[in-house]
Amino acid sequence: MFWHNYKYAFRTLIKSKEMVFWTLAFPFILALLFYMAFARLHDYDTFEPLNVAVVNDESYRKDVAFSEAFKSLSEGDERVFNTQYVEKEKAEELLESGNIEGYVFVEENEAKVKIKENGTMTTVLVLAVEQISQSVDAVNDIAMDEIQRANGAVDIPAIYARVAAKISEAQPNIKDDSRVMNIVAVEFYTLIAMAIMQGAMVSSEMMNRCLPNISNRGKRVAIAPTRKSIVVLSSLLAGYTMLFAAVILLILFIRFVLGIELGDNLGLIMLHSAIGSLAATAMGMWLSVILKTNDAAKNVIILTITMVGCMFAGMFGGQKVFFDEMLPIVNKISPVGMITDGFYSLYYYDDLSRFTVNIVSLLVVAGIFFALSIRGLRRQRYDSI
Amino acid sequence: MTVSKAFWRIVLKNIGTIVTYTVILVVFGSINMNSNSTTTQFEAKKPTVVIFNHDADGALAKSFVDYMEKHTEISDEYENDDKLKDALFYETVAVAVDIPENFSTDLAAGNNPEIHMQSSAGYVGELAKVSVRRYLMMAQSYASLDLNESELVAKVEKALSKDTIVEVKSKVDSSKFLRAATYFNFANYSILACVITIICLIMASFNRLPVRKRNLVSAVNIKRMNAVLLRNSCIYSGLMWLFYLVVGFVVVGFDNLWNTYGLLFAINSFVFCVCATCIAYLISKFVQKSGAINGIMNVVALGSSFLCGAFVPAEYLPAGVLTFAHVLPSYYFIDANNKIIYLENFDLASLWPVILNMLIMAAFCVGFVIIANIVSKKKQKIA
Repeated sequence: MFWHNYKYAFRTLIKSKEMVFWTLAFPFILALLFYMAFARLHDYDTFEPLNVAVVNDESYRKDVAFSEAFKSLSEGDERVFNTQYVEKEKAEELLESGNIEGYVFVEENEAKVKIKENGTMTTVLVLAVEQISQSVDAVNDIAMDEIQRANGAVDIPAIYARVAAKISEAQPNIKDDSRVMNIVAVEFYTLIAMAIMQGAMVSSEMMNRCLPNISNRGKRVAIAPTRKSIVVLSSLLAGYTMLFAAVILLILFIRFVLGIELGDNLGLIMLHSAIGSLAATAMGMWLSVILKTNDAAKNVIILTITMVGCMFAGMFGGQKVFFDEMLPIVNKISPVGMITDGFYSLYYYDDLSRFTVNIVSLLVVAGIFFALSIRGLRRQRYDSI
Repeated sequence: MTVSKAFWRIVLKNIGTIVTYTVILVVFGSINMNSNSTTTQFEAKKPTVVIFNHDADGALAKSFVDYMEKHTEISDEYENDDKLKDALFYETVAVAVDIPENFSTDLAAGNNPEIHMQSSAGYVGELAKVSVRRYLMMAQSYASLDLNESELVAKVEKALSKDTIVEVKSKVDSSKFLRAATYFNFANYSILACVITIICLIMASFNRLPVRKRNLVSAVNIKRMNAVLLRNSCIYSGLMWLFYLVVGFVVVGFDNLWNTYGLLFAINSFVFCVCATCIAYLISKFVQKSGAINGIMNVVALGSSFLCGAFVPAEYLPAGVLTFAHVLPSYYFIDANNKIIYLENFDLASLWPVILNMLIMAAFCVGFVIIANIVSKKKQKIA
């Protein structure tokens, strides 16, 4: 009887256009939209040469040290600037039209910068010009010091060249322990978490079919000579199967079609999704039991809970850290927060302790929802429906 | 009167939808508004940096921290733990630097001590790294001279004290209008969601077969009923526009909107509200079920918002996406908002790009109404 009901529950579920849309089509559409919207965001974060101009007049050409240093930043594959050498009027024109971030000119033996507006790009240009100017001054200072210390005849150009070479070759001993990760990946983690939690709609729908005070089918189930627990469990399992299958398809789509990094351990990703789906199923079951209202209203409540959870977890460019500082408890108790953090910890952390905390938390949440649902379902009797 | 009453009863029944999307607008709009700023005075962006100084008594270490304090925001909220790793990942901290013991004496002796550093990805991380490297490079360069620690500090500080003179061309401080543009760009989603959901639900209620049959045999003139529905839809959209304008005054600030720029934002959003009404009118001709309305609304509102630059600024979107976005009215609404903030004059020539976007939105309205009427006529013939 269990598998008989499971089979028909599953068949009715996949024939429900609304369920298929929310569990399968909608997350796929969102994944595609995320991919298109955020595709350049991380590329943008990796350094691209800035378009700038230099006023190539007599003053600029006379300042050989500065012009040579700036030229070196404008050459090769690792260049910082795409530099156009132009007249002042042309530089103004380029700045006005937005073709360049700013332009550099030398006036009264000093390099200056003109920009249209303050911003990150213009900061890079100003910092580079500042660094060159400071380095040129340092070369002069150190070379003068060496000349003063030297007794007798000195080869001044050779000293300048040596000092300039020494400064340009100076390499601080920095050990970079950074882990450069794609921040955009978090958007996709929240998306998977959203898809999982929207699965609560599926279990809610399945429970509605078993509740006599909600649907006609529930009334028939209540008087049928079958154990109610078998009908409820088989229906929930059918919903869980559909949800988990949809989530797996979504993860495969995100990982292999869109190429978003989810970490190397696909097995743990699946385990996390399976436990997340269990928590979503339990939440949907509980909401369906406690809310004495129609399908549409229950779905709106589930969607609202899910989307608010997604917002706190960092979806739509939201700032998770901002919410974590403002209301740190929310992402700790929200299933969306736990699922997102689980994927994030798999991707970003080497050890599994944080991931394990999320898995255990989700299991606890699922256990609480199941226990509350069973308590609500036990010994239900109706005088009139 | 009966039709109007029914219309507004359905609106009130769905007030939760309006509240939800307004809350989303206020929360996300506010967060996004505070993440950008441009001014007419040059100010280098100050990234947040964490420094663990294990050489607190060293003169060079102290000088390095002072230098970083001048060029970055130093935060002491972090330990070297998961919280710091999260902050680096989410780019709220640009760089974390670990100054080792005996850093000052080693550097002064020309030993080039090892410094551990963690940085976030992106420009802000790069900017912070530039500051770190610049100080260390300068110190290393001067370390070759035979100087004691305090002389070395003085030399390095003098060399790094030189600032570059920066001229800013723009005479308009666009930062306060940028906040307004961010709000109205984000309102693209909320306006579409509220207008499409409510109008489609109302139309679907009136178009449901049993209701339609009752209306057809009733004394109510069907053309008059349609006219009342259309009029009330327009009033509803107008009220939504007014509501979001008032919310805008609260969120963006009265002074930032009570000016010519604010007037242009208001006109632009009004044209977009009319366009959203036409989109809702068109969708209502195709979709009758409330579940389907919710789905289509989400696809249309989220799709338009993502592809046209409501959530992610248009300059970060791939060129192909922006080209495709030209077929969506939201693109012209957002483009007009982004153009308004850079206006320096309000003559026709300067305003023309903004007006052109509004005209294109108006053309979309006409197109949507024509398609809706064609569909409507075909459906009548089938019936």
